Amino acid sequence: MAMTMSQKRSTFSVFRYFVLTIWLLIVAFPMFWMVGTSFKPDKEWFAWPPVYITENATMRNYLIVWANINEYTKADGAHIDEKTGELSQYTQSLQRPWVALRNSTIIAGIATTFAVLFGGVLAYGVSRHNIISEGKMFQLLMLRMVPPIVLIAPISLWYRQIGLLDTITGLVLLYFLTSLPYAVWMCKSFIDEVPREMEQAAEILGASRWRTIWEIVLPLVRSGLVATFLFILILTWSEYLLALLLSKAEVLTLPVELSKYQGSTEGRVYGRQAALSVGITIPLIFVGLIIRKHLARGFSFGMVRR
Amino acid sequence: MTAEQTIGENLPLTGRAASRAQGIRRFKWTVLTPFFALLIFILMPALIAQVFFSLNHFSIFDAGDDDTWRSYLNASEWIGLELFIEVFNDERFWNACIRSLLFASGSTLGCFIIGFGLALLMYRPFRGQALYYIFFILPMLTVPIVIAYTGEMILYQNGPLNDVLSRITGLRVDAQFLYKKEIALTTIAFLEVWNWTPFSFIIMMAGLAALPQEPQEAAKILGASKWRIFWEIQLPLLRPVILLCLILRFLESMAEFPKTWGLLQGGPGSATETIPVYIFITTWQYFDISYGAALSYVVLVLMVAIVAGGIYFLQREKKNLDEMYFSRPQQSE
Repeated sequence: MAMTMSQKRSTFSVFRYFVLTIWLLIVAFPMFWMVGTSFKPDKEWFAWPPVYITENATMRNYLIVWANINEYTKADGAHIDEKTGELSQYTQSLQRPWVALRNSTIIAGIATTFAVLFGGVLAYGVSRHNIISEGKMFQLLMLRMVPPIVLIAPISLWYRQIGLLDTITGLVLLYFLTSLPYAVWMCKSFIDEVPREMEQAAEILGASRWRTIWEIVLPLVRSGLVATFLFILILTWSEYLLALLLSKAEVLTLPVELSKYQGSTEGRVYGRQAALSVGITIPLIFVGLIIRKHLARGFSFGMVRR
Repeated sequence: MTAEQTIGENLPLTGRAASRAQGIRRFKWTVLTPFFALLIFILMPALIAQVFFSLNHFSIFDAGDDDTWRSYLNASEWIGLELFIEVFNDERFWNACIRSLLFASGSTLGCFIIGFGLALLMYRPFRGQALYYIFFILPMLTVPIVIAYTGEMILYQNGPLNDVLSRITGLRVDAQFLYKKEIALTTIAFLEVWNWTPFSFIIMMAGLAALPQEPQEAAKILGASKWRIFWEIQLPLLRPVILLCLILRFLESMAEFPKTWGLLQGGPGSATETIPVYIFITTWQYFDISYGAALSYVVLVLMVAIVAGGIYFLQREKKNLDEMYFSRPQQSE
C-alpha cells in the first residue's frame, strides 16, 4: 500500500531526528568527556570501567592549574622544597597558564587587529577601485595554504639573527601575514554588499571621500568587521605549530602550554589537561557562537551568494 | 569598470579623472608597501636561507653558540644537489607523501560526505534546527591540540570509547585505536573528520540556502522526482561550493600537524609520519637542518603546485559564477 504524503513526511522527520541525534552524540561526547574529566579526582582518570559521571566531583584540577593552589601531595608529582616550604621551580613551571593566557590574548589580539584594519582598507580598495585584480586576490591565498612547516626552520634562524625569536612581535608578524588572506576576502564580502549608489549619492551631496567612508560605509560594515575580527581571532588563538617553534620560554601561548603537560616527567595528567583545555576552549566557543551566522563567509571567498 | 559608474566620467574634465586615477594609485601603494616590506623582510630571507642550507652541508652544532651569518657560513660546506638526490631516493619521504595524500583525501571525503549529508537533512527549517546547528559547529571552534589530547583520553585502550562500543555491541571491544600500526592513521583521520565536518556543513548549508528557488519549483511542477531535482538541478548549481569545500579541506589537511604530532609524534613506528611530521622530526629532533631544508624545498614546490592547481579551479568557478550572476537579469524569461 502506498504511503500517503503525510506518512511519508513523518517517516522522513523521524529519520532526520534519528540521524541528527546520532551525530549530535558523536559531537557532544568528546566535549562532555573533556568537561567531565576536568572535575574528576585523580583515581578516576584511568578507571575501568570508565567513570562517566563522577560522584566525587572536585575543583582540584582547576585550582591546581589556574589558581596556583599548592595543596599538593607527593602523589601529584609536586616537589615542595622541604627547607623553604615553597614550590620547586619544576612545579612552578606548571603554573604558567595565566602567563600563557596573557600571551595568547596579546598576540592573537594584536595580530588580528592589524589583519582586520589592513585587510579592511585593502578590501575597500579592491571592492571599489579594483586595486588588486581577482587573480592576485586568489594568489594571496598562497600565504595561507602553503604549509608553514616548509619555511619555519629558516624563519626561526633568521628570527634569531634579527632578535625576533621568542618575542611577541615575531609571532604577531607571522600571524598577521597568514591571516591576512582570510581578512581581505571576508571584509571584501561585506563591503561588496554596501550599494555603491549610497556612496555616490553622498558624493553628489558634497561629502568628502573620508566622510563618505566614515559615515556611510563604515557603519554598514561594522558588524561585518566585528565578525571578521572574531573569526580571525579563532584561527590565531588556536594556532600551534608556529607558536611551538618560534617561542622558547618567554612567549608561550595557551596551545603550547597545554602540550607541555603531555609527556612531561609526571606522566599523563588527564584531569589537569582537561581543566586547561576547558579554559582554552570556552572563549573560542563563546566567540564562535556570536558570529555563527557569518562563519561561512570566512571561507567562502564570495562563492556563496545570497 | 568603476570609472564608468562615478560621476567624474560624465564631466568633460579629463584632468579630474586623471587626478582621481593618480589618487587611487597612491592609495594602492600606500596600502601595499608595508605588506611587501613584510614579505621582503621576513619571507624572502627565509626562502634564500632555505636554498642556501639545502645546497650546503650545514650543522647547527658546528656553528656553535655564535649566532652570526659568518659562523653559519663557516660551518657549511658546499655539496650542490646531493641532498636533493638523497630526498628523491628517500623511501621514508615517499611513504610520508603517500600517507599525507591518503590522510588528506580520506579525511576530506569524510568531512564532505558527512557535512553535505547533514546539510541536506537540515537546510529546510524544522523544530530544533537552531539547536542542532549550534551543536554541530562546536568541533570547529575547539583548538586542534585540545582535540588531540581529549582524543587520547577517549581512545586509549581502557578508555570510554571501547567501553561504549562494548556496551552497544554486547561484545568485549578492546581495540588499540592509537597503538596499532594498521589503524593509527585512520584514527587520526577520524579525529580530523570530527574536527572539520562543521566546515563542510556550514558551507554546504549556506550553499543550499542560497540556491535559487525558481528552477526547482519549475521542475516540481513539471513532475520531476526529488532525486531528479537533486541530481539535475541542485547538484550542478552547487558545484562551485562543493569544489570550494573539497579543495580547501584537502589543502588544510595536507598541512595538518597539531593532531598528528600531539597524539602520536609520527608513531607507532612511522605509521602516522605524514609530510609535516617528517620534516619536523628531521629538522627539530635530528637537527639535520640541511636535509630538512632540502625536504622542505621539495615539499614547497609540490605544495605550491597543488595549491596553485586548487586556486586555479576556485578562480575559474568564481569567474563562471560571477558571469552567471551578472547575466541573470537579462536571461530571465
